Amino acid sequence: MTTVAIQSLVKRYGSSTAVNGISLDIEHGEFISLLGPSGCGKTTTLKCLAGFEAIDDGRILFDGHDVAQLPPEQRDIGMVFQNYALFPHMTVAGNLAFGLEMRAKPKAEITERVRAVLDLVQLAGLGARYPRELSGGQQQRVALARALVIEPKILLLDEPLANLDATLRDEMRTFIRDLQKRVGISTLYVTHDQAEAMTMSDRVVVMFGGQIAQVDTPEAVYDRPASAAVARFVGQANVLEGRVAGANGERLIESPLGPLPMPQRLGLASGTPVSVIARPQAIALSAVAAGTPLAGTVAARYFHGAFIDYRIAVGDQMLNVQAAPPALHAPGDAVALGFDPARLWAVEAA
Amino acid sequence: MTAHTMRSPSRPLLLIAPAAVLIGVFLILPYLNIVVMSLREPATTTPYGSGFSTAGYAKFFADFYYVGALLQTLWIGLLSTLVCFVLGFPLAMQIVRATSRWRALLYGIVLSPLLVGIVVRSYGWTILLGNNGVINRALLDLGLMQTPLPLMYNSFGIVVALSHVFLPFMVLPIMGALQAIDPALEDAARSLGASPRRVFRRVVLPLALPGIQSGAILVFVLAVSAYVTPVLIGGMRIKTMAVIVVETLIDQFQWPLGSALALILSATATLAVVLFMRLTRIRWK
Repeated sequence: MTTVAIQSLVKRYGSSTAVNGISLDIEHGEFISLLGPSGCGKTTTLKCLAGFEAIDDGRILFDGHDVAQLPPEQRDIGMVFQNYALFPHMTVAGNLAFGLEMRAKPKAEITERVRAVLDLVQLAGLGARYPRELSGGQQQRVALARALVIEPKILLLDEPLANLDATLRDEMRTFIRDLQKRVGISTLYVTHDQAEAMTMSDRVVVMFGGQIAQVDTPEAVYDRPASAAVARFVGQANVLEGRVAGANGERLIESPLGPLPMPQRLGLASGTPVSVIARPQAIALSAVAAGTPLAGTVAARYFHGAFIDYRIAVGDQMLNVQAAPPALHAPGDAVALGFDPARLWAVEAA
Repeated sequence: MTAHTMRSPSRPLLLIAPAAVLIGVFLILPYLNIVVMSLREPATTTPYGSGFSTAGYAKFFADFYYVGALLQTLWIGLLSTLVCFVLGFPLAMQIVRATSRWRALLYGIVLSPLLVGIVVRSYGWTILLGNNGVINRALLDLGLMQTPLPLMYNSFGIVVALSHVFLPFMVLPIMGALQAIDPALEDAARSLGASPRRVFRRVVLPLALPGIQSGAILVFVLAVSAYVTPVLIGGMRIKTMAVIVVETLIDQFQWPLGSALALILSATATLAVVLFMRLTRIRWK
């Protein structure tokens, strides 16, 4: 197993900088997602790691050895492409054998390893088929098998589920994660889908504009985002601009919706502008009663099955609130809002 | 009843009727006519006699002049195809990989032979290749040669000129095939441990095969049936089947023999193409 270290990686295309000095360590057997909007540099980072792109600065270390100058064929990586990139002129078995043939393995060993990996991805018996004769999900699994059969140092996946339909995507998510755990391979997974990143990863790397905005566990990224931008990108977030209030130590924030108590010490001087992040689950709705401190009006209501998604207008603010069914409040209703202090989070305003 | 069920079943036939008539009248009927003509009796005062005979075919097989010409023609076709492939494949590769501005320019250059009439192009080659042509003149004047190089009136000259004329027919299908290759396939092969050379041999070349196949068939068929270029470059010394067919029909006025020769040429070429397609069968499509 391999540890991978990316140190101050820079990649430029002409005058624009695609990756601007990112550093990241991937531990033995760790599953890390690079999450970000398109153009954030996540795919470029992957290509630099694979060796498809020459880097402009920084280092890429596999087990302490700098591989930045090595061509892709000498890096010992397994890569799964968004469109699978299966060789259409080779059978499934031919595709799987390709990497082993390049490593000049004996024929008997190749046959055995191809058979074993077909079993591993539950495609036993399909070795003689051509890729076009397989379904999307099957092609996906062949692509995974082809990357894994060479027992690479690291597995790189570039939006591998983007071309699958929703049901299959959920299924493949678990499949890939289980497989990765069983094989125990260090994995870097590029995606723009935060649900994929959250459900599959040991750690999530959120990238914006060629830089890393946050590296943390999925829970930490969701509950304690490093910035309002991270909060908005990973799940839904209500962001309220406020200031650290002097009273009650520094754990009270003066917001447009009134004073909000914070769960953490902010370490910020009184009066510092901050963004309060309230997840849609951190706000509770109830019927308006006498003495309600904060009330709003239901502007819209969307039924999702597992939860109800409300848009609540409070003054000129629009809040997203998610509540468990049944739908107690109809559009136009006045509702009381309660913030759960344990689930609020504040970051210094950008 | 809906409009759909009311639709006459003969409608598709009606739609292909114009094309069918065109092909029938201008291709199949003349072909049948040639088949009949090839089986006519030879005559001396008229183009053909009133009875039927297989004398034309018999003459072909009896006279090595004709068999030799056929072999020569196939050989020239094969060589032209090979030359077009050797020149055309790297060219197609380069055009496909070029930046868009270069691609347009190279594309134009590749197509340019088609913009000039075949007679003009062939005459152009006689100016270059002739005993008194540009190349020989230069070599003689520079004192590099005492006698002119035999560049014309032989199969060399014909192959050179045919390759020039038919190069686009090799390049275009190969370009089509190369363009259809997903660039990620090459990345995938590299990531699996293949050097650029092995990527080419194991991925790019096999995937370009359908284009190579079409290009080779086009060039071969065109080269084997070419008339103008062989007649101008080959002169009286070297005669391909097409040249002999025209001579037999027009100069010697032997319509049955000429028709038989024409049919033998097209049958042999068809056989060669079928054989080639068998050999290069593509199973993964």
